[in-house]
Amino acid sequence: MKDKITRFIIDDLLSGMQVSDQDDLLLNGLIDSIGVMRLVSFIEVLIDKPVPPEDVTLEHFVNIDAIYNYIEQRES
Amino acid sequence: MGYLLTHSVEYWASKTPDQPAFRMVGKELSYCELWRRAGQLARTLIEQGVGRGDRVGIYMNKCLEMPLAVYGIMRAGAVFVPLDPTAPAARLQHMIDHCGIKVLISHPPKARAIPAFLTDDTGLSCIIGIDDSAKNSVHTIPWAEVDNSSENCPPVALMEQDLAYIMFTSGSTGLPKGIMHTHYSGLSYARLAAQTYDLNNNDRLGNHSPLHFDMSTLEYFSAPLVGATTVLIPEAYTKLPASLSQLIEQEQLSIWYSVPYALIQLLLRGVLEQRQIQSLRWVLFGGELFPPKYLYALMQLWPQARFSNVYGPAEVNQCSFYHIPEAYEETSHPIPVGHIWGDAEGMIVDNQDRPVSAGESGELLVRAPTMMQGYWEQPELNAKAYYFRPVTSDISDRFYRTGDLFLENGDGLLEFLGRKDRQVKIRGYRIEIDEIEKVLSAHPQVEECAVYVLMDEDQNVKIQAAVIVVSHSQISEEDLLLYSAEYLTVYALPETISRQTEFPRTTSGKIDRKAIQMQALQQKPMNEMQI
Repeated sequence: MKDKITRFIIDDLLSGMQVSDQDDLLLNGLIDSIGVMRLVSFIEVLIDKPVPPEDVTLEHFVNIDAIYNYIEQRES
Repeated sequence: MGYLLTHSVEYWASKTPDQPAFRMVGKELSYCELWRRAGQLARTLIEQGVGRGDRVGIYMNKCLEMPLAVYGIMRAGAVFVPLDPTAPAARLQHMIDHCGIKVLISHPPKARAIPAFLTDDTGLSCIIGIDDSAKNSVHTIPWAEVDNSSENCPPVALMEQDLAYIMFTSGSTGLPKGIMHTHYSGLSYARLAAQTYDLNNNDRLGNHSPLHFDMSTLEYFSAPLVGATTVLIPEAYTKLPASLSQLIEQEQLSIWYSVPYALIQLLLRGVLEQRQIQSLRWVLFGGELFPPKYLYALMQLWPQARFSNVYGPAEVNQCSFYHIPEAYEETSHPIPVGHIWGDAEGMIVDNQDRPVSAGESGELLVRAPTMMQGYWEQPELNAKAYYFRPVTSDISDRFYRTGDLFLENGDGLLEFLGRKDRQVKIRGYRIEIDEIEKVLSAHPQVEECAVYVLMDEDQNVKIQAAVIVVSHSQISEEDLLLYSAEYLTVYALPETISRQTEFPRTTSGKIDRKAIQMQALQQKPMNEMQI
């Protein structure tokens, strides 16, 4: 699961640029607003559940670890 | 209080030294620190040979060093040039070369992007704010060194007519053009805005706009004029409306100024019903049309706040305002831009520069102390940018040609009709492209729309529309066409209406219609369509 997310972020959103699981994807401007929307759609498909607007926050999307934690929390 | 933009910070640094001038993500710069550290930066710049009138670039994401750069450059007598941190290397290179920038101020998050625009023949001699680990060919001075330099900054001879900043905006030739503002025009704007919105030192302004976008001058110039606090909003928040609304609540913002897009995102995805946003007292929006349905909805949610529509090209900062009446009713009629503000003169003229009669449409010409000095090194553009109204045989008043079409309605309010260059003729009929957008965006299921034209091989103009519909809407393109036909004459109807999930945008959040047009063009066989 985490691999899939990492691959999507690196290959599709960052054009191959390597980032660690803790690297800030948002505050440094690595992912733009269209990127955030694509990421949300990708997660919705992955967990087969909608991601409501109140969940699309810095806390849940700041880096790969945060995204993975959010998904785990939604699946449990 | 003074005649230079820097005088405001100097004044408040002695009067309320501990008051925060700028804040970001829990950290802050007091007026005293801002003045002191800007002095250290100014000294560093002067030691690098920077002097009166020299251009110094700012290339950074939002951070607390940004206001230091702005005020440090001005304290050195130089001109700050904010560069879009997301711009492609070729565009950055052009701006640096065109303005003759020798010193650039940056920070570590942008260090990796710098080598891409450092060419062998670059005029850059020094980059402040990064270390030399990237092995750049130019001299680097990290921030730590700036902060260790002497606080004794020599005074620089400067007057209000000296240039203070240059902001780049897209030019019709494809190359950006630099709008030059002086301390006088910047300070005139700061004063007029502070008066119009009754700003005071208890205010907390949210800085949503990037520095290279002219709307940021409210937070960078007007807030320091009155000793208020500006909260810099990191770019990431603008993509996460639920976090943005949280920030507005936590930071107790009292003044908001942004493009309508940010407000629409807050309304649709910002979970405002879960937030306590009572601190907001004035919401300003401008730069694009704000669909009345969204304005009305926000006014219901924030009844304590006043709302104003702000208009003015970056060339004149701002020139008009419309304070939305408290009893505003939802309507499909576009929100007026209101009145030309104090100490400015507006004139609506026809194609021969003759003033039009009341109620007739024409181009708005503006004359104001907030007006730019001109475009940097663009004699041809500067020759066309103004209208001169004779006063005596050898003296005339200078008006900026806004390129925007307006009429004055029966209530004496200015109404925006569209861009002069967004007017097309189809079978002899004059059509305002922006008029079609207004109709489509008034539809309850349309979130946003963009209308543009393509030409077929016979040079026939074809109107195209792209829309983003509200979530879960099942509305079809045919339904939207039928709806448009109720309001538009048949020749103004779009040939196609395509549904999209997102639009390309400029860094300020405005819809990038040119990019949408290019995308559409790429989807058609090249020999069939052109712009």
